[in-house]
Amino acid sequence: MVHYIGVILDESRYEQIKGTPIEEKVQSIFGGALKMLVVEVPEDKSEQILKAFDRARIDSRGFIEDVPVAFRRAVFEEIVKNKSLDIIDKVLERLPEIQELAKKEDEYIPPPEIE
Amino acid sequence: MPKLNIPPPHGGELVYRVIEKRDYAESMAAGAIEFDLKPTTLPDGTPIRHVYREIMSVCYGFFSPVEGSMTSADLEGVLKERRLENGWVFPYPILLDVSDEDLKAMDVKEGDRLLLKLKGQPFAVMDVEEIYKINPEEVATRTFGTPEDNPEVVREPFNEKHPGYMIYKMMNSNVIAGKWTIINPPKFREPYDRFWLPPAECRTVIKYVKKWRTCIAHQTRNVPHTGHEALMKNAAYTGDIEPCHGILVNAIIGAKRRGDYPNEAILEGHEAVNKYGYIKPSRHMVTFTLWDMRYGNPIESLLHGIIRQNMGCTHHMFGRDHAAVGEYYDKYATQILWSKGIPSFGFEAPPNEVEKGLKIIPQNMAEFWYCPVCGEIAYSENCGHVDKKQKFSGSFLRGMVAEGVMPPKVVMRPEVYKAIVKWWKVFNYPFVNKKYLENLNANLEVDLEPMEIPKA
Ligand SMILES: [Zn+2]
Repeated sequence: MVHYIGVILDESRYEQIKGTPIEEKVQSIFGGALKMLVVEVPEDKSEQILKAFDRARIDSRGFIEDVPVAFRRAVFEEIVKNKSLDIIDKVLERLPEIQELAKKEDEYIPPPEIE
Repeated sequence: MPKLNIPPPHGGELVYRVIEKRDYAESMAAGAIEFDLKPTTLPDGTPIRHVYREIMSVCYGFFSPVEGSMTSADLEGVLKERRLENGWVFPYPILLDVSDEDLKAMDVKEGDRLLLKLKGQPFAVMDVEEIYKINPEEVATRTFGTPEDNPEVVREPFNEKHPGYMIYKMMNSNVIAGKWTIINPPKFREPYDRFWLPPAECRTVIKYVKKWRTCIAHQTRNVPHTGHEALMKNAAYTGDIEPCHGILVNAIIGAKRRGDYPNEAILEGHEAVNKYGYIKPSRHMVTFTLWDMRYGNPIESLLHGIIRQNMGCTHHMFGRDHAAVGEYYDKYATQILWSKGIPSFGFEAPPNEVEKGLKIIPQNMAEFWYCPVCGEIAYSENCGHVDKKQKFSGSFLRGMVAEGVMPPKVVMRPEVYKAIVKWWKVFNYPFVNKKYLENLNANLEVDLEPMEIPKA
């Protein structure tokens, strides 16, 4: 079974893919309130991701969730760099580096500045 | 249909075993054998349960008619057919388990009085009725069932990955049975104190303050998204001659796991739903029960029914995968129990249709999703655009929160998100992490006042 990784696009992320071939792959959800890209992940590779991050899981929609922020960032970076959604191998090559970053985020994630 | 009214407590009478008056409390504890309550832990030392939460829930009546740590006859009845020795339905073993070393050190025997201490202070007393041995692994297995013995709903054998199974498996093999009485009522810290409404008081508030004749309970261990809100609002359209007057949110507060939302954010997130008018406070109230969640899906739903009936609810909403983790049970196990019964668990009929069963009425609900065609949060049994559905996913939302993206208000109310951020700033983290756990496990949800016990 194929699984998915959803990459949420806020405005600054959307700017980075605007005008690239990726733009037409953007999905709009919740009545246009949210934009996201969906990366397909073959089962053997989703296994690898689940193994790398102890809290990662597949949710009821088939999406890989509860992965570190560092992992999501890497997915987006590779999308921008390669102008493609076929980037999961590139992300997996960076696993050791992502795991290092993920360790730090276990203790601190900066809160957003809202009033 | 006749008009409904607040049902009687489960078992007929509300348990209330709390003594506030110091001199009575001291005289009850004088000369008792002291024992410091300890958490149940995984082999690596991680706490997964603290029996103090069960003592609180028993003594304040949430678990009526249970009055203390179960005798071997009660335990056997519960494991065999989810019934206490007196015949009333009850789903889970409630046990004060102690290690061989502790038992030996206490030198306790039947008829003795024990003084249970919490955080170094006197907390509760119990008169020992029975001391007996259990095989914790057997208790764990029989509590949740097996695919062979409970083929109606159990899909996979329970194992080390199931948190509830581990709570029983890691128990000590000696049980001290007897009724508990709290003699030094703990004080809840902020913000728990605002939401602490034990059954006797909750019934009074429902009847005389809120003036609800009918009330539907909502189980939670999560910060609410609009899918939860839609569930609450729509389930509440059930009732009798009119929709339910009230919605009682009851959060289960207990041992946490990394990645959960902090208790504080869960309670204040639900409170934001009424405070900011998404469901008016005259119709919606947030409370909690102390309990280390066993994730027992249909079994857990029985406990939920008992707790909320005791709190004064006429109805209880049950969704898919109720109180579930993993794929151990059928997704609809709870709904199967409450619509036709599960004979292998002791229910030839639904729990509210058996003798000495519950009086609370189930409202089994299907799913809510966002439908771009309907342009609204749709009920799965209404919306025909199944291939267009956009499901709510708690973990999807957690991912968004972690990335610092404010969820759109169609998915999460901004004031609910602000409750998350408020506690994120306090803990430097939006979810439960190691530090939160260490802090919670050391301090629990309460503080106890110092209390001197006169020597006998
Ligand atoms: Zn629709």
